[in-house]
Amino acid sequence: MSTAIQENQQPFSAKFLQFYKDRTLLAILLSLFAVMFVYGIFFTDNYLTLTNFKAIIRDAALYGIMAIGLTFVTLSGNFFLLSLKETASICGVTFAMGMATGFGSPDLAGNFMVSLLAALSVGVVSGVIQGYFVGMGGNPIVVTLGGAGILYGIGAWWSDNLVINFTRPHDAEWLGTGSFLGLPSITWSFILIAIAGEIVLRHTNFGRKVYLVGANKAAGKATGHENFSMAIIVFTICSVCCAFVAVAFVAQMDSAQSNYFSAEFGSSGDMTILVIATVMVGGNSIMGGYGSTLRTSLGAIFIAMVDNMMVLQGFNSGPRIVGVGLMIVFSIIVFGLFAKGSRAQE
Amino acid sequence: MDNLMKRITRDVDLSFAILLSFCVYVFFAMNIEVFFSHNISFAILERFAVLGLVGLALTICIIAGEIDLSIGSNAALCAVIVVKLTDPLGAPFAMLIGLSVSTLIGATQGFVIAFIRIRAIVITVGTLMLLRGVALLIAEEKTVMLTDFRVPDFITTKVLMYFSPASLTVIFIFICVGIFMRYTKYGREIYAIGGARKEALTAGIPLRRPMIIAFALSGFCAGFAGTVIGLKSGTAQGLGLQYLLLAGTVAAFVGGVSILGGKGGVLGAAIGALTVNFLNTGLVFYALQVHFVQLFTSVLLVIVIVFQTMSRIFDSRQARKSLLETIDDRKTALLEKKRSVLGK
Repeated sequence: MSTAIQENQQPFSAKFLQFYKDRTLLAILLSLFAVMFVYGIFFTDNYLTLTNFKAIIRDAALYGIMAIGLTFVTLSGNFFLLSLKETASICGVTFAMGMATGFGSPDLAGNFMVSLLAALSVGVVSGVIQGYFVGMGGNPIVVTLGGAGILYGIGAWWSDNLVINFTRPHDAEWLGTGSFLGLPSITWSFILIAIAGEIVLRHTNFGRKVYLVGANKAAGKATGHENFSMAIIVFTICSVCCAFVAVAFVAQMDSAQSNYFSAEFGSSGDMTILVIATVMVGGNSIMGGYGSTLRTSLGAIFIAMVDNMMVLQGFNSGPRIVGVGLMIVFSIIVFGLFAKGSRAQE
Repeated sequence: MDNLMKRITRDVDLSFAILLSFCVYVFFAMNIEVFFSHNISFAILERFAVLGLVGLALTICIIAGEIDLSIGSNAALCAVIVVKLTDPLGAPFAMLIGLSVSTLIGATQGFVIAFIRIRAIVITVGTLMLLRGVALLIAEEKTVMLTDFRVPDFITTKVLMYFSPASLTVIFIFICVGIFMRYTKYGREIYAIGGARKEALTAGIPLRRPMIIAFALSGFCAGFAGTVIGLKSGTAQGLGLQYLLLAGTVAAFVGGVSILGGKGGVLGAAIGALTVNFLNTGLVFYALQVHFVQLFTSVLLVIVIVFQTMSRIFDSRQARKSLLETIDDRKTALLEKKRSVLGK
């Protein structure tokens, strides 16, 4: 009440300062953006071309979608999943199985809808089970570390650790390599999912509950919003996002293997850590209750931009991984110093 | 008998760990003929030299109430440094440099965690990636190799039938860390900030010192594990030691640490690491692919977590029940008193 009165009495410049203070991290991110952009224009060849920007957003889309799913988990105070790439790999294997063999019945082979539904339901099941354990009081890191091993083991066992191929033309081409209005479908999906995530978080009952439970677990419990159901829902959302990325990626590659998302995915060594990095670089609070999917999307584009610039300047994967690692550590320390003494740090 | 029951119930998780490791060992000993032999015991102890250290590193962190995800990268970095420097400088000096780098990295992490008061998982995800990149940079993205294989030969020679220089050193480290954690002030501080951080801080225990010591110790153990791996095989890579995180976590949790911190110990870590080693060594005889090993290790982890969570829920229910009973008793006593007073 008192703060509201104070705000009304403040002059415009003070209000602007207040806004800047509230959104310091966003401001820092945006200024870093600008610095990188200008640096890229002046010191990198072939940087300021439309094709390159499309490539950047396309790169960002793959892990950006996963990161948007992970943002829900992080905002609700459940830290993060260490089983992201394993969930994606088992869903990818499921999708490719459906496209190649139709799960044993030749009629269904190559049926896009059936394969998609199968992949998504595998994602839902893995999300619900992990969320159940976390909701029961397990530590998210340990539970998902165990879940990661089990999901990878099942995926590799099922596919015999072989590459599953299916031939073109197939029904999923529009998702994998197709484009609409000059942008690839995966980019459109990224944009749509980011907008949907923002709307859900800002304007629905569920979204506000996510913030509440994340910001203060005890208050959430006292008002009847327990972490049990919340954990299940957010883990499911995250796993479904992983499944979607897996489907798009497999549709693009026409094949799937259980370790497509492991090891040397993209540039940064490890899909799971890259996605977690995206959430952190975007400036979301890992303790929960503070952040948004908009920040995550910006973080994804930022990482993709820096990575793209380093590729164009001819760096190997070592320096690129160091670059992303430095970005994470920097954003964590900056966030930690800003949040010091506020309730965001427990 | 009474005494035994008391011992079992005093530390349920440790008893469960001993039972579990016994079950795993007996299962493989029954099914595989050669499992119960000198050579296999030697092989198990050889694996223990690596996994035990990683389990110990994670155990120390988890006792302090935090979890260190950067262990695999730290080990890889140390392995790369040691293998690269062994040829020009000789093994002891290379190990000194590698281990001090690892310990320093751990101590820095501990300092940052205590200074910013951030959760360790947050910062160690960052350092996981950073250290991996640094390891790749130092190795120039190739596999680093030894040219002189006298060192690998030396550390894998058999001593006293079951041991090798590597496993003897690791057992020595275990004993030292165990004494440190149990009987020194600094070790007890680590337990204190893990088990009840607010209470410990209020009681005047500093946060920085135990946190830095815990993470430095864990960095040292991870680095030593990397050194053993690197020197044993004579090669090291920037990528590729990430599986240590899962194995170490399983070892720590089987050994009876609680994710809430302040519980568990070095003995538990040793038992946990041995259990995982029994499982890994036993699965070798079935000629399974790598992903099955991962699958079974994860299943072991899930079993332990479910047991721990269940016992925690059971404990809290029991506590609530006894509390309610006490309240009921007092209530009836009060009512009777009131009645007797009114009756007069």
